[in-house]
Amino acid sequence: MICAPFTKDKQMKQFVFTRTFSGIPTLFGMTLIGFLIIGLTPGDPIEMELRRLGVAFSAEQVEALRVEYGLNKPLIQRYFLWLFDLFRLDLGTSIASGRPVLELFKEHLPITATLSVLAFMSSLALSLGLGGVTAVSQRTSLSTGLYVLTMFLVSVPSFWLALFLLAVFALGLGWFKLLQFGNPQDLILPTITLSLGHSAVMSRLVRERIIAVMSEDYIRLAIAKGLTRRAILGRHVFKSILPPLITNWAISFGSLLGGSVIVENIFNLPGLGQMALQAIAERDFAILQAYLLFMGLVFFLANFVADLMNHWLTPQIKKGDNGLR
Amino acid sequence: MNKIKHLLGVSSILVASLPALVSGVSTVQAEDIEQLRIAVKKDRYSVDPKKFNFTTRRPAGQITETAVKPDKNFVPQGILFESWNYKNGVYSIKLREGIKFHDGQIFDAKAAIEALKLYDQGRSDFLQIDQESFTQTGPYAFTFKSEIGSSLVIENMTHRGASLFSTNGNRAENPIGTGPYLLDNYKPKQSISLKRNDDYWGEKPKVENITYHFIADDQVRLLALQNKEVDIVAEVTPQMLLSLPKDGSVVVHESRPIRYVALLANLHGKAPYDTLKDKRVREALAYAINREQLAQILFNGKGVVAKGILPNWMFGLGDNHVEGFEHNTQKAETLLDEAGWIKGSNGMRSKDGKPLELRLVAAYPNVSSVRPMPELLEQMFRGIGISIDLVQVDDSGVYDDTYLATGEADLYMEFASNNNADPTYLLYNLFHSKTPWGYQYIAPAGKLDTILDNARQAQSREDVIKHVREAHREIVQTQLAAIPILMVPNFNLSRKGLNIPMFEHADWIDYGQVTLSK
Repeated sequence: MICAPFTKDKQMKQFVFTRTFSGIPTLFGMTLIGFLIIGLTPGDPIEMELRRLGVAFSAEQVEALRVEYGLNKPLIQRYFLWLFDLFRLDLGTSIASGRPVLELFKEHLPITATLSVLAFMSSLALSLGLGGVTAVSQRTSLSTGLYVLTMFLVSVPSFWLALFLLAVFALGLGWFKLLQFGNPQDLILPTITLSLGHSAVMSRLVRERIIAVMSEDYIRLAIAKGLTRRAILGRHVFKSILPPLITNWAISFGSLLGGSVIVENIFNLPGLGQMALQAIAERDFAILQAYLLFMGLVFFLANFVADLMNHWLTPQIKKGDNGLR
Repeated sequence: MNKIKHLLGVSSILVASLPALVSGVSTVQAEDIEQLRIAVKKDRYSVDPKKFNFTTRRPAGQITETAVKPDKNFVPQGILFESWNYKNGVYSIKLREGIKFHDGQIFDAKAAIEALKLYDQGRSDFLQIDQESFTQTGPYAFTFKSEIGSSLVIENMTHRGASLFSTNGNRAENPIGTGPYLLDNYKPKQSISLKRNDDYWGEKPKVENITYHFIADDQVRLLALQNKEVDIVAEVTPQMLLSLPKDGSVVVHESRPIRYVALLANLHGKAPYDTLKDKRVREALAYAINREQLAQILFNGKGVVAKGILPNWMFGLGDNHVEGFEHNTQKAETLLDEAGWIKGSNGMRSKDGKPLELRLVAAYPNVSSVRPMPELLEQMFRGIGISIDLVQVDDSGVYDDTYLATGEADLYMEFASNNNADPTYLLYNLFHSKTPWGYQYIAPAGKLDTILDNARQAQSREDVIKHVREAHREIVQTQLAAIPILMVPNFNLSRKGLNIPMFEHADWIDYGQVTLSK
């Protein structure tokens, strides 16, 4: 018993170490696949740019520009050059704006991060609330009503929801502005748009988990013992449903970041999503590659944190398991 | 802050208008504007400070100026150049005197040569000036030659991308030009604000401050106008025109029709995309289109039936140099019968067991800018027994590489315009068999190449225009490489009371001269 904390601490360190190192090849693999996909996508950034600008150009000029941006080199060579630069924290230069990608990331990341964290927190609270209410009030009109609402929110596309919210709250009621950015209230509508769909999906999971746990023998025993519903839900049910939910929340954080592309575009927020969308249209390879790397890192870290929490919360995950599920 | 400025602007206008109201003046007059807010689609105002190349994107056109601008017929008219002359392959330039850059540097021959030389640094010199040929012949005069012996260098200088910067300072942070506005504030991807240059050499702008807001989503641009957060929407799609509020709060401004909607035909495709090698099928398609109907349905009824892809008023081409095609389904059916495409019991045509199916790709510049025209055309072609495999691509890269460069389609719908004062620009880049834009499958080659080469090599503008007329006729009539559908104006939307000096080329709308009707 005296050695237990030491053993647990050692186990945790080993888990963190193994998990981190197992992630490195995954990240490399992801950057390689991402690079190949972007590189093989139809569309030459130089020709697209010149044609969009409406200037006449010759094949020699296009080739000269390709050389200037290193696009004339074989794809795999370009990948290793990019990787070499990455180790020097150089993410390259945007073809469209001519600015360093790292600088662009520093500019755009805060908005996306704030929006995603806010949306994540909101969807967490909403999903627990909605899922909890629909689970404990089964076969009531409230439960049915909320279930229909979640079905609707799951089905409705985020761009439609965004335009609807803008039409009602900005144009109709005049509570919000479309163009201003810089005040906390400017993030309310984007956060709602981003979080509603996700909270609907997650609330259904919460509901199913609660219903499943509620039918377990130990919960029946607790009910028989006369524990209050609040005590049962708070002490027993919540603790049991948490580990699988943590993994889902981790994944959903990544998809919230991805989902911010549409929301940022409609609400005109200069975040990473809007930058990535424009980069796709312009085949701005350096930005796209950095965006992919960033998304991969976020997914990796979110899953890592989820595993860490599950490792800490769940006694079943022991030495040798390494949390790799 | 912008809102406050705007309110202050509107208030000051109201206060200023009181004496006129009191004295009972009833004539319609225009007022200057303190703050004008314009919604545009994308942030295209970045400048690379190290490499001065094609990424320089019209940094707020009004800060810098070009040497020349297109006049109402797209003929170059001097701005920074007072006059020019092209003789024996040499351009002789006389600069306008009394012009200074924003930092006080005099715009003389030396400064002009330095500014023009910037275009060679990025090796994307679309002006194609022989950089070694610059010779100063006076304090405000110099000469140069074209790298390729072209007589159209001045015409190409009407492009906003050929704006002249001072070589002083950092072009990314503080572009120094000679224009009527100074850069005030730039928030990447959000907005760019300009303030009036009170020392401007030319006509003083009527608008004191201009802010361009970048709003990517079409519907949100319209909502921002309805919500009075912007005064003008500068990029307008057919979808936006179809969803305008009915209360008259949004006003549509239009130029003369300049943009064409046309179907470009694959003339050299391999099976199964070889059907349009037969000119009779191309003619049948041209006769099957009910252009009047499309003009009424789309673009708020403001499009006009197209005879060609260049408007008749442009370059003084003239009204009758192309004839166009009437809507005549009977004629279309006869042509298809003659070509051996026989109608079956289901109303669709086939030849030797092969159904008459054409792949139509709608992509350029994007699907939203032409929708729902592809669907309407599909119905019209079905009416004469042609089945359409409709492909809508919202990515110009996929369009270029997957369909255009490979020839894996029969028809390409494009919504574009000749946005250059070089009369050969569009026709050469799209229809010459050596087209750098990747339209080899559409280019008829042979006679047309010769005509276009002659146009490019002609040494007088009159000769250029003569060859361009001939080339245009060859493309839309004789060879039918392009089937013209509609000519469409350039649109802006605004709140009520604004007078916008519309121009056919969006880059040349002078928002500094917008006024507010009393």
